[in-house]
Amino acid sequence: MKKLFSALCGLLLLAISHTSHATLRVVTTTQDLAAIAAAVGGDQIQVQSLTPGTRDPHFAAAKPSMIRKVFRADLLLVIGVDMEIGWLPALLQSARNVQVQPGNSGFLDLSTSIPLLDKIDGPISRSMGDVHAQGNPHYWLDPRNGVRIARAIANRLSELDPPNKDNYQQRFKIFSQTMDSKLPAWRTGLAKLKGKPVIAYHKSFVYLADAFGFNIVDEVEPKPGIAPSAGSLSKLITRIQNDNIGLLIVEPYYERRSANYLNKQTGIRVAVLPQSVGSQSGINTYFDLFDAIVMALNTPEGQ
Amino acid sequence: MAHSYIRISRLAAVIGLLLLKPAVTFAGEEAEALRQQLAEIKQQMQHLQQTYEQQINALELRLDGLESKPANQTSVAEAPAKPSRSSTNNSDFKIGLTGVIAAGGSSVDNDALEGLQAGAHDPNQNGFTVQNVELSIGGTVGPYFDAQANIIFQIDTEGETVVELEEAFFTTRSLPWGLQIKGGQYFTEFGRHNPLHPHSWDFVDQPVVLSRFFGGDGLRSQGMRASWLMPTDWYSELFFGVQNPKGETVTSFLNAPGEDIGGYTLIDRDARDFGDLLYTARWLNGFDISDTLSMNLGVSGLWGPNASGTTTDTTIYGADLYMKWQPLYSQRGFPFVSWHTEVLKRWYEAGDRGDPSRETLKDQGLFTQALWGFKPGWVAGLRAEYASADGNTSTDSLRDTRKRLSPNLTWYPSEYSKLRLQYNRDWAQHLPDNTADSLFLQLEFNLGSHAAHIF
Repeated sequence: MKKLFSALCGLLLLAISHTSHATLRVVTTTQDLAAIAAAVGGDQIQVQSLTPGTRDPHFAAAKPSMIRKVFRADLLLVIGVDMEIGWLPALLQSARNVQVQPGNSGFLDLSTSIPLLDKIDGPISRSMGDVHAQGNPHYWLDPRNGVRIARAIANRLSELDPPNKDNYQQRFKIFSQTMDSKLPAWRTGLAKLKGKPVIAYHKSFVYLADAFGFNIVDEVEPKPGIAPSAGSLSKLITRIQNDNIGLLIVEPYYERRSANYLNKQTGIRVAVLPQSVGSQSGINTYFDLFDAIVMALNTPEGQ
Repeated sequence: MAHSYIRISRLAAVIGLLLLKPAVTFAGEEAEALRQQLAEIKQQMQHLQQTYEQQINALELRLDGLESKPANQTSVAEAPAKPSRSSTNNSDFKIGLTGVIAAGGSSVDNDALEGLQAGAHDPNQNGFTVQNVELSIGGTVGPYFDAQANIIFQIDTEGETVVELEEAFFTTRSLPWGLQIKGGQYFTEFGRHNPLHPHSWDFVDQPVVLSRFFGGDGLRSQGMRASWLMPTDWYSELFFGVQNPKGETVTSFLNAPGEDIGGYTLIDRDARDFGDLLYTARWLNGFDISDTLSMNLGVSGLWGPNASGTTTDTTIYGADLYMKWQPLYSQRGFPFVSWHTEVLKRWYEAGDRGDPSRETLKDQGLFTQALWGFKPGWVAGLRAEYASADGNTSTDSLRDTRKRLSPNLTWYPSEYSKLRLQYNRDWAQHLPDNTADSLFLQLEFNLGSHAAHIF
């Protein structure tokens, strides 16, 4: 018992020596928010994302290593709109960091700065699948929303760290200007899709479609979050043929069998579209994400 | 715009005409034609409404931009928007109901099955069992506390409905230095499995060794515990608690008078001083070994009085290991492989000092279970268990040498429901044939607030 006690005391001393820090610790629920925060925060912040871009952030679980990160955070950035509802409330309770609790200055829900799409006013039921009454949570896939996110983060960082306010605002300006310079090229790159009907696997690309003017007319999932069945796929085949739909977009983490089957039956082109920063190698910044999306949609099939 | 206006006035004219017509009697065909026309008009109206809403939204966005943008900025990407709603991400009050119902059959009769399935929420009948219907209410009380209550409804083997206050506790929100205090009636944080509610179990029944040491309902009691999230570079948390040692949910300690453990009938003993309370401790560590592999490692201990005598004590130690692998690309949390193992040992002093038959009953047990989520919504599991005690215990269903092997298959039709099929092969000394085979089908539903995903 004595040995255990002295070991614990030693551990405590070791631990205390770690706690001082100069930069703001920013923790985000997704890599997209981390990438934007890093662009705005620069050297003044340390950013960590709780989930990798290769996974669907809705289905994460509150791992102990996340508790550690949130406990030490000065600012927690979340997507909101129920995206993290399965794990963030439990995580916040375990992490016992008052500063990053909702309502406090260290908590920022970015969905509050965004005009959300797919809001549902009427009655809502779980028989409809995973529907989000407050709106579709995949809003980072509209580059204009990226600027809104960056502005909200820059403003919050300025509040938390006033001496560096000019740095944050300056970097936000650069971010916004970079976006201005890149948008026309992306628009040109996706111009051929304008007005075209497209099928997506899940309701992830609604904002992308809105930003670049194509129409997502159906999903492979018969209802959000519900796996396709033989029956739902055969209905989709009829629809693809009748409406002459030429493109099916799929997130990298979804199964390809349904998409390949539809491709085989109808010849519809299947494009695997990165949905997040970090979802494929080489996508390290928010701008990389749209470069990669434009490239994926312009790569001839089979390459 | 002008074009749309003309279309609207045309529609209005048609509707007006329709309204004037009812005096005339229509032939069936005419009515049908009109009905069709009406449907078309309805569609057109809806389409128009949508177009207008979209146009208005777009205009609002542009207006927003003009209003809040300083004149010298000309960014195309920037179109500031008004926050469209208040944040409802972590809504304060949660209420939910989960129901777990099982149907099953076994090679042994109901009496023997109850001995094998000693958990109070285990399916233990040939036929149907309502294992657990749990009402869960929780939320934030204020800046300083969160609180939660779980109330269980159950139908016992006699068909009577039983209501139980399973848990009701508060936790602090804002203590400094990584401290948190929990108080009330709560599941003791001993190992990984004990604090889990039946709807979070990976198998239809609870591990044999836990039923033996902690009774049918798991170890829970009234008390308080403090936990400290240590400022280490990995996750490391220490829990120390004090709980009342009496009641049927504190089986290895004062339990309830008249109950029987290892042939000793328990007396009516109360906690008289601090030394008579149940002390609980746990040290839990969590590591990310790689981007795809995470591990939890914990040790737990319990120290408290037992009611086989007036001065007798019980000590229980346990160690638990949990590992989970998930590839970088995963859809809805699938695929994954997880492995969960716990080992427990109990020293139970039976008989007071000076009593010639005084002895220390030693019991031990372990369970190890692996799950494989092989495609979205589908999980295959396998659990192996062993429990035994020192001495001649072969006729005691709670202390004999027992082995159990349980393969199962679970399907989640959605996040809020599951169907599970499980086969149990039992080897138990106390059974006349020494073996039993059972098959259970379990159905679970969740209503209300989104339940937390279990790591």
